[in-house]
Parts: sequence; C-alpha cells; structure tokens
Amino acid sequence: MIFKIFRKELKETIRDRKTLLIMVAIPLLIFPILINVVVNVSSSFSESAGEKVLKIGIIGDTNDILIQQLNSIPASFGPKDFIAYNGDSLKLFKDQKEETIDLALWYDSGFQDILDGLGTANILWSVDETNIGYSERIKGYMNILEAEERLKRYDALGIDEQKLQPYKITYQNTASDQQMLGELAGGILPYIFIAFGFLGCMYPAIDLFSGEKERGTIETLLTTPVKRWKILIGKMLVVVLSGLMASCCALIGLFVSIEFLDLIPDPNLTAVVSKILTIPIIIKLFALLLPLTVFFAGIMIPISVYTKSFKEAQSIITPLNIVVVLPAMLGLFPGIELNYITACVPILNIVLTTKSLIAGNIDYILLSLSFIVMIAVAAVAVFVSFRQFGKESNIVN
Amino acid sequence: MIKVENVSKEFRLSKEQRKEHPTNDKYTLAVNNLSFSCNPGEVFSLLGPNGAGKTTTLRMLSTILQPSSGKIEICGVDAVKYPREARRKIGFLTGSTGLYARLSANEVIDYFASLYNVPNNVLKERKAYLYDLLNMNEFASKKIGKMSTGMKQKVSICRTMIHDPEVLILDEPTSGLDVITAEGIIQLIRDYKSQNKTVLFSSHIMGEVDLLSDRLAIIHNGTLKHQGTMAEFRADMEGQSLTGAFINIVQS
Repeated sequence: MIFKIFRKELKETIRDRKTLLIMVAIPLLIFPILINVVVNVSSSFSESAGEKVLKIGIIGDTNDILIQQLNSIPASFGPKDFIAYNGDSLKLFKDQKEETIDLALWYDSGFQDILDGLGTANILWSVDETNIGYSERIKGYMNILEAEERLKRYDALGIDEQKLQPYKITYQNTASDQQMLGELAGGILPYIFIAFGFLGCMYPAIDLFSGEKERGTIETLLTTPVKRWKILIGKMLVVVLSGLMASCCALIGLFVSIEFLDLIPDPNLTAVVSKILTIPIIIKLFALLLPLTVFFAGIMIPISVYTKSFKEAQSIITPLNIVVVLPAMLGLFPGIELNYITACVPILNIVLTTKSLIAGNIDYILLSLSFIVMIAVAAVAVFVSFRQFGKESNIVN
Repeated sequence: MIKVENVSKEFRLSKEQRKEHPTNDKYTLAVNNLSFSCNPGEVFSLLGPNGAGKTTTLRMLSTILQPSSGKIEICGVDAVKYPREARRKIGFLTGSTGLYARLSANEVIDYFASLYNVPNNVLKERKAYLYDLLNMNEFASKKIGKMSTGMKQKVSICRTMIHDPEVLILDEPTSGLDVITAEGIIQLIRDYKSQNKTVLFSSHIMGEVDLLSDRLAIIHNGTLKHQGTMAEFRADMEGQSLTGAFINIVQS
C-alpha cells in the first residue's frame, strides 16, 4: 500500500513543473553555469588587468634614473606610461584625485646621489587599492629594480651574495593535494548538497501535505481504508527522494562540469577533484545524506501538516533554510574538526564527516557516530510528523 | 445501514477563534447528542442551514473525525472502534473534497480502486458501468486540472462509487452542476437505492430532497430539530412550500 501511495505521489510530483525545476533543472545546471561564469569572468578580468597601460604620474622628470630603470622593465610585466610633473606636487595630487592618472610616484630629488653614496633612497607609490592588480604590478616592478640595485652594491662592496644568506629554508607541505582540497574546499560540497537537499524536499513537502489540504484532496484520501502511517510514509518517501534527487543532480552537474565541459583551467585541480569524486566516496556521501534528507522531510512535514495553505507553509519553511544552513556553514571554518562533540551536532557532523572523507583521513568511529546521530534525529522527526499527521485538527481545514 | 446514537463533537477553540467569535469558552459544541438511522434501500436526507453541523456529522460518519461521545455503526461495524473496517463500506463525497489536478480521470479512479484493493477484473466492470452511467468516456484520459466543474464532479462521484460501497454519503452532490449532469446523478442515487444500498445525502436544493428522500433529518446549531419520513414531513407542511416548512423548523 505504501508503494501505491508513493508511486502516485511521485507521478504527481514529477508532473509539477515548479517542483521539477527545483528538483532537477536548477541543481543540474547550477554548477556548469556557475563555474563557467566564474572562470570566464576571472580570466577575462585578469587578462584585461594585465593588458591595461598604467598611467603613472611622476614627481620628477622622465630622464630621472628611477624612471629610466622602470622603463627598462619589459612590457611583459605590464605596460606603463609615465607623465612627468617636474616638481608640481599639487597638480600630481589633483590629477590622482580626479583619476586622470592611475598611480603617483614620489621619490627623493637627489635619488641618484643617494644610491651612489650607498644610502637609502625613498620611493613612495600612491595607489588606490580598490583597483585590483595595481599594487601587485608595481610591487613586481620594484622587486626587479631592488634586486638589480642590490647586486650592484654587492659588486661595489666586493661581497659574495651567498655569504649573506646564512639559511636556505624549505617549507615542505606534508599534506597531499587531496587533503589540502578536503580541508579548504571539502566543506563546500556537503554545504551545497545540504542546501539543495533542503530545497529539493521543500516543495514536495508543502505540496503533498499543505497543498493537499488546501485543495481538499487529503480528505478524500483519509476516507480510504489505508492506515494513516502508510499514507504518511508513502508521501514522506517522495519528499526524501526529491531531496536526494536534487542533491544527486547537483553532483551530476558538478561532475559534468569538471569531466566533460573542461571548465576548470587548472589540470592539477581537475585531477584532484576527479580523484575525490570516486564511486566509494559518493556512496558514503549519499549514505550520510539519506538520514539528513529524512531529517529534513521530518521537520518540514509537521509544519506542512500544521499549516492551512501552501503559502503559509512556504512562509515558515523558507526561513528555516537559514537555520539549517548555519551549522553547515560552521563546518566551512578552518579549525572546526570532527570529534566526539561535533559528531553529535546534526548537519555540522555531515559537513565535517564529508570533509574528512574527501581529505581521506576519516575516523570510522566518528563517521559511525555521525551516522547514528543523524538516524536518531531523523527517527525523532518522523515520529513528530506521525503525531502531527494523526491529529484531526491538523488534517481537516 | 447507518446508526448514529447520541453523537456529539466538541472542537477546541484557538485564541484567534475565540477572538473571532467573542467567547471565553475553550471548546465549542459542533454536534450535540445527535441520533438517527438510515436503512438499506433508503435515501436519507440531512438538512440544515450553513454551520448547522452537517459537514461535521458527515465527516464523523466517514471516520475522518472521531466523535467526542456517542456511537456510530456502519453496516454493523463500530465506526469509532474500527474506522478502517467501516471505511471499506463507505463511499464519501463532500463539496470540499478535491481531486488531483495533475492526474487524469482514469489515473484517479485506478488509484482509489487500488487503495480499496478492488481486483482488476472488477475494476474494469465497475469503470465501464460508471463511465457509461456518468458519460465519462470522452474525458477519461483528460487531466483533472483541465476539466470543467461538471466533469470533475462526475469523476468525484465515480471515485466515490468505484469500490461499490454499501453506504453512500454525499454532501451536496449536485452543487454547481448543470441540470443534465445533476439529473444523471439523481438517477445514479435512485439506482443505488434500488440495489438495496444505503444513501445519505445533504442538499440545499429542496426539489431534490423531495424527489429522492424517503426520510429526512433537519439539524440546526448541531442539534436535531426534526426527523421523520418524507411523507410525514409533507403532511405537516400545512400548505407551505418545502423551503418554507424547512425554515419554520429551523427557526422554531
């Protein structure tokens, strides 16, 4: 009997365009679109930033040694154009303020003499740091000039450069690429699944309970000799399946973006992500998502049963999204790790367990604890749903 | 047969409801000590103005609601103690019951037949009989959401009768229908009666009540105001119209 109800509810659900959009279309397309946009925007931005000719206002003259040295830096480090102000500091200030120049360069008037006397010459770059890329470009220029000048001084003073380097320090990263990705980005994957799982559950949960009540179909169903708990389970299975379907579609979208659409430009990153998206990890991930989705269904159904209309249910369940996403976001912070305490916090435990799974350093006792905790909260949620569905004041408007 | 003995139904009032109907009472009595019976081969009309307690009574008979006190028997089954057993014997249709807009008439009928465990061969026969009777063949594959009110009501009636219930409970079955469709439904109620089945229906159309009823009960404010045969009711009318007699009883 449960299967009969499940089959009918599923048929009705997949005929609803809005639910289908939330359950399949959006999760499936979000990653290809998102990655495509991010990659294209960032690459076109960095291309245009690299090609931009910087207009640099200088306090001195273009014949000054510093400017000549800067001019000798190849254009491949970024093209530049100098505008001489010949000591007119007020005009230099004004032009930078009015943005007729991109940068202002100030330096000592006796710049060459200071260098010749092995002194320290002052150089001041005025940069508007909101212009992304300017700072990096001028730091690059200055590193080249400083290195050249330092070498000249070593020669002048007859110093062996090697003797001024007492240590050769190497910092070796013992974490594998997979561990690094697990730690840095591992939380994002379950976060996305949680968000889509929640969204996927939401519309069917509202439609199959509040919606039925509003349309008067629940009354018809309750006059049949089917036990109420069977009706509830049949409907709940559709809600859970919809949540899992949304998560699954998000995963397929992500997989297709990485494997087939070649949207991630870094081949090393692609290789690591492909290594993570293996069948065993995906199976474990879905095993964790299953009780989570049942839990979602279990908290949405009592609300949906209690409310009198689709709109009312939606107005309560939508803000609940924030409550659910909050512990998921906690898992994104570095330093929060899976332990005996965090394994007992629903949702957060899923994020942290997934992080560890991806990083390949999972503790199976903690994984089991997380799983048991999620099963327990899901069971409580189902029980609450059953109690609410059994109340006649909730099922008849 | 339907047997209702001293049935009452109380509802708890929410704070909002107490504000809406200024009262300090936590409970309201929707049905008060109601008793009547409806026999096989008989059409029984339940009449009353809006808010009289008709729908609550019909919902209790169909086991959606449990009475606060009293006894309901459906074909010998205690409907309060064994609601699932009672439901097998009932076909229930109220004005507020809806249909699944995204399914076709055929799918709705098949679904409900499966919930009543109607065997496939019986389902085929029942469908053929009811589709012919209700002129449903033309739109059997059409989605409910695209149907007219009349078509939907026909599907609802077909859904109510698909498991060949012994007791038919109909709440304003012809409401909002054109005269031809309404006539078909009236004919169907007569057929049902002739098969020695029990029909309980509520209506606001006094002509229908006069045409179909063997016995009737009038309730107002949850209390039984009148019960008797249609012949007795007509005899007591004292030259008034049916509607006039009904209003007199309600206002007395």
